[in-house]
Amino acid sequence: MSVLSDEELERYSRALVLPEWGQAQQLRVRRGRVLVVGAGALGSPVALYLAGAGVGRLGIADDDEVELSNLHRQFLHFTPDVGVPKAHSAAAKLRFLNPEIVIEPYPVRVGEGNAPGLVADQDLVVDCSDSFATRYAINAACCGAGVPLVEGGVVGFTGLVMAIRPFETACYRCAFPAAPPAAPSCAEAGILGPAAGVVGAMQALEALKLLAGIPVREGFVQVDLHDLATTRVSVPRRADCPDCGS
Amino acid sequence: MSTTLDIRDVTCPLTWVRTKLALEAMQPGEELLVLLGDPEAIENVPRSVREAGHDATVEGSAVRIVRR
Repeated sequence: MSVLSDEELERYSRALVLPEWGQAQQLRVRRGRVLVVGAGALGSPVALYLAGAGVGRLGIADDDEVELSNLHRQFLHFTPDVGVPKAHSAAAKLRFLNPEIVIEPYPVRVGEGNAPGLVADQDLVVDCSDSFATRYAINAACCGAGVPLVEGGVVGFTGLVMAIRPFETACYRCAFPAAPPAAPSCAEAGILGPAAGVVGAMQALEALKLLAGIPVREGFVQVDLHDLATTRVSVPRRADCPDCGS
Repeated sequence: MSTTLDIRDVTCPLTWVRTKLALEAMQPGEELLVLLGDPEAIENVPRSVREAGHDATVEGSAVRIVRR
């Protein structure tokens, strides 16, 4: 009677029994084409949750190779993967988790030059990169193509999650017009694995809601991993925003 | 209008999943007769149906549902 196969009904049954979810939402996820930028600390929970949820076509972009120091938090990668390109290490695990979907590894660095092309035929992008240059390039490309974007970042015990619907809600550049002057990376500032897990999981949740057509709030959430407290910050669109301004 | 969903060979929790999906595809006022085989389901499905806001009447090992 349903368009979902018997195996899909079983695989996604725990979502399907939710009042907020049903065949319509699951089919939208299955039709969804999502690009995850970064296969590291945020990309690991994001990609695994989205693959598990049945996103029909999941791209994962990362030009790095797995390093030993990644393994305490980047749980898409295991000890024998040290030296392997992260995009491929990620793809192998994602396909193992869900053989029913298409996984597309992109072992490339995402930047101004290739972002528009990568974003063009996506339904959603989730930014899990560790570079502000990539972040702004992705934001501009998503605004240019009208593709929803879930932004996220974490370092130390502070994180941020922002769901962006270009031209409907504020974009990343509306909220943060310029990169901070001397932004520390995890190599300098450090992080405990689960801090990234919390932020990545929240990104994955927003991503699924956007794909399924479930409302998400505008603005961003600041996450304090010391107190396990969140603060919601509303952000108006900026008329003079270079990426989404009128 | 009345439809029959024969899921006598289905076990929990897929019994409620199948029933829920069938109800989602129906209009308010339409009737669904669900044939169940799993004893757990004969207890659980009517409860889930009522929690979801529909009318459920147990008839032996079947549940007659009116979609609200």
